Amino acid sequence: MPLKPYLLIFFLSFFSLTLFAQNKFTLSGTIRDASSGETLIGATVKITGATSAGTLTNNYGYFALTQPEGTYTVTISYTGFASVIKTINLNKDTKLNEELKDANDLAEVTVSANNRKNENVKSAQMGLERIDMKSLNSIPVLLGEKDVLKTIQLLPGVKSGGEGNTGFYVRGGAADQNLIILDEAVVYNSSHLLGFFSTFNADAIKDVSLYKGGMPAQYGGRLSSVLDVKMDDGNNKEFKFQGGIGLIASRLKAEGPIVKDKGSFMVSFRRTYIDLFLRASPDSSINGSTLNFYDINAKANYKINDKNTIYISGYFGKDNIGVKDLFENNWGNVTTTIRLNHIFNDRLFSNTSLIYNNYNYTVRLLNDVTNFKATSLVRDFNFKEDFQYFSNKHTLRFGLNATHHRISPIDITTSQESQVNPLTQEKRYGLESAAYVSDEWAVTEKLNLLYGLRLAAFSLLGPGNFGSYDPDGNILSSDKVESGKFYKNYLNLEPRFSLSYLFNEENSVKASYNRNTQNIHILTNATSSSPTDQYVLSSNNIKPEIADQVAVGYFRNFAENSYEFSGEVYYKWMQNQIDYRDAAELLGNSNVESELLYGTGRAYGLELFFKKKFGKLNGWVGYTLSRTERKFAELNNGNYFPSRQDRTHDVSFVGIYNLNKRWTFSSSLIYSTGNAVTYPAGKYNVGGQTVYYYTQRNAGRMPYNMRLDLSATLEGRNKGKFQSSWNFGVYNALGRKNPYSVEFINDPTDPSKTVAEQTSLFGIIPSVTWNFKF
Amino acid sequence: MKKFIQYIAVLTLCFTSCKKIIEVDTNNAAAQIVIEGNITDQLIDQQIVISKTVGYDEKGIYPKVSGATVIVTDDKGSRYMFMEKTPGVYVQAMRGISGNTYSLNVSVEGKTYTASSKMPNRVKLDSIGVVTNSFFGNERKTAAAYLVDPENETNFYHFNLYVNNLFSRRVYVNNDRLTNGNKLRIQLYYESDDDDDDGLKSGDKISVEAESIDSNIFDYWYTLSQQSGRGPNQGTTPANPPSNISNNALGYFSAHTYQKLSTEVK
Repeated sequence: MPLKPYLLIFFLSFFSLTLFAQNKFTLSGTIRDASSGETLIGATVKITGATSAGTLTNNYGYFALTQPEGTYTVTISYTGFASVIKTINLNKDTKLNEELKDANDLAEVTVSANNRKNENVKSAQMGLERIDMKSLNSIPVLLGEKDVLKTIQLLPGVKSGGEGNTGFYVRGGAADQNLIILDEAVVYNSSHLLGFFSTFNADAIKDVSLYKGGMPAQYGGRLSSVLDVKMDDGNNKEFKFQGGIGLIASRLKAEGPIVKDKGSFMVSFRRTYIDLFLRASPDSSINGSTLNFYDINAKANYKINDKNTIYISGYFGKDNIGVKDLFENNWGNVTTTIRLNHIFNDRLFSNTSLIYNNYNYTVRLLNDVTNFKATSLVRDFNFKEDFQYFSNKHTLRFGLNATHHRISPIDITTSQESQVNPLTQEKRYGLESAAYVSDEWAVTEKLNLLYGLRLAAFSLLGPGNFGSYDPDGNILSSDKVESGKFYKNYLNLEPRFSLSYLFNEENSVKASYNRNTQNIHILTNATSSSPTDQYVLSSNNIKPEIADQVAVGYFRNFAENSYEFSGEVYYKWMQNQIDYRDAAELLGNSNVESELLYGTGRAYGLELFFKKKFGKLNGWVGYTLSRTERKFAELNNGNYFPSRQDRTHDVSFVGIYNLNKRWTFSSSLIYSTGNAVTYPAGKYNVGGQTVYYYTQRNAGRMPYNMRLDLSATLEGRNKGKFQSSWNFGVYNALGRKNPYSVEFINDPTDPSKTVAEQTSLFGIIPSVTWNFKF
Repeated sequence: MKKFIQYIAVLTLCFTSCKKIIEVDTNNAAAQIVIEGNITDQLIDQQIVISKTVGYDEKGIYPKVSGATVIVTDDKGSRYMFMEKTPGVYVQAMRGISGNTYSLNVSVEGKTYTASSKMPNRVKLDSIGVVTNSFFGNERKTAAAYLVDPENETNFYHFNLYVNNLFSRRVYVNNDRLTNGNKLRIQLYYESDDDDDDGLKSGDKISVEAESIDSNIFDYWYTLSQQSGRGPNQGTTPANPPSNISNNALGYFSAHTYQKLSTEVK
């Protein structure tokens, strides 16, 4: 077993770092929001004195700094909050638990532009985007449903799947190459209503981080990005309620202390009511139809003592679509996470997680003779043990992770009269395990390193019959494997490395390299993601997908940190990418792996980002110039061809204007090159049909996309505890007909000719939402 | 699914979901050889049609290719020489037999194209009829073919539908992967030249041609059916259907059984 020597090296290198000089003491603690008791993630803690140092609070608001004995000034700051400055005498290990006050509650305090000063420039981390949940509220979105997934698509390097699709593409990767985690649990399907909304109810979300590159070693399992979403912990001081009533959905959230200052809970619920419009229809077939989704987020935490805090969180969401007497389709995710934060000592912080998640769907066809019910399920049990060790110039992170997957591809049950046969496709079992170590090292004042190693193992487990296929997809042999047996094992070593070099406080260059691998893959031959997309594990036929990415960037802040600029270029190589044979039948096919083709990919691009962070008018401009291509021996004569999501230019402008205390206006404008598509190069006639002749794959372009969205928020005349606000929005204010699909049809005026017909989904869509809080 | 997404778009207050004709930038390729060959189990003039492609935006008048040598052989040693009856249309009176493999050899314009296809057993088309479904609140009548799928073999079917002698522009293709051995009612949704598809009306005359085809020909029709009515950006990436003819000719060569039934919509 080659795993052991690696582990040994990890732990030896780690423990050698724990032996250090005497007369140093550790300042540690937890930083919270004074009004709710929520821990603050990524708050800056800076200490200056004989020596100076700084750090950020971790995902649980915890920090630790080790410095020589002496008197220090400690500055704790966080965007939107008033900074706290304290003087401490560090002559023993010291606890410093602080609560920061919301800057908005302190009318007299102007928010200092110095909060988290130049963090973006200094940190070795590249390719990271953090979504500020406060600005999320003012960014205009479809139907006023604020949405983190829609908002990240306004950032450079992140491309939307197009209207009616929450799938997103990061730096040329595919939609299934994003690791989307909610409180550590994988969310397999992040869309509601076939992609019009995301599964993340913004009310319940505390923090969203998107890694486009330079993924730290604690994350693994997907090629192109990590979207780490954390739920609110709940207010541990007082009971609070908030909610909103919108055109299509309503939301309600309750939170409060379980034991004051010790534990809290949060429950958030959201449901659409498009059904009600359906029911109002006089047409008996339409009013018998269903179209809704709902989701529940719940979380509770309890601080057992100073060293132990337990968190339990869960998500439950479901979509229901049905047309009377025709079909029903429902799908949803369930996640449950139990976590224990344990502080071994001031410097060693651990987090142990037990995670359960599943994604399932059901399709029922109600036709009299072809009636059947098909169900499918992906289920994971996941154990994570994560340690953070804070030393003088190092922050070490190391841990273990083991996930057991079970995939039930499809289960078809039928009635007696049905002409469809019952079918149970074999379940697939897999074990993904990983060990990782990473170190964030402030080498000098100017040079920061973040480097690590992740060892990712994957085993395809029995029971099952595993087929092997020839290059044409014909079955050669089949292995019968007993339960619990390891049929196929893969081991991948993933180096992660990034550094920043500061020319001065406001100026830095960064570089990174990282390798990521992936062992669970979506099979879909449609462009947009669908709830019935099928998951497969790596196997004797499917090799783990591998991506290597290098990136270089320049980071610059201007005018006391109030403007940020960054430019990054990246190049990504992808191996073992998956596509399909023509005539592939993916659903209910026991030999589905015979339909697959394997190839390589490459993606490269330039991302520019300019942001004004403060002031009455703030916002950003993002620009991406990129290319993403795939190569398969069996497709496009073996030449590289653009991926569907390849778009040369992507531009977004986001502007937020705070007119006065009551009115905030915002707008976003996006422009992007059209998707790469395959257009015919000719036509002919067979079987009485006009058939198109294709030469180059994805060599054509859809028309470009452009959309202006506007939104205005009016705060109520808030007296006392009850606060309310109105949000008015206009989606696609220019009313531009953006392309959804293009079809080639016979010209209506001259059927012997062919014309291209574009379908668009949305015109101008107004919305209004009333939000409240008390 | 596309219809369904549009339906949702309408419900989510999309008053303006719309279609428009656009200009797209695409190059026309040089003309390609297209061969469409059918051998049926009827004693008729079997046809091999050779034509060429035209640019996608040109008029749909496809140049016929004359002067080809067209020979069909079977694995029992028979050899049939096809004669050009009208330009590009090569015929020979013969009858195909289930179980025989037919090979096509076409020499034209200095190139040779070959293909083979095994004629499957005939599955009896028991009857055709009309089914009434409720579809988004509308009663729709559709044609249906009834047959019993044999349990002991893998079957592939292709249908052609005619309504009042007009050919339906839709590819009807089935296999028995999920329905093996069952009594089948296969619905054939009519698709006319214009988009307003209201289904069948009383008094319409419908005819259905049923073909038992081999697996390569199933792949051919199935690929086409996956692409029709969808187009780029949604659905599968369009590609040329996998032809069983060599040398990059477009089209297919199919040996299949043939049955035809007609009825009138009540």
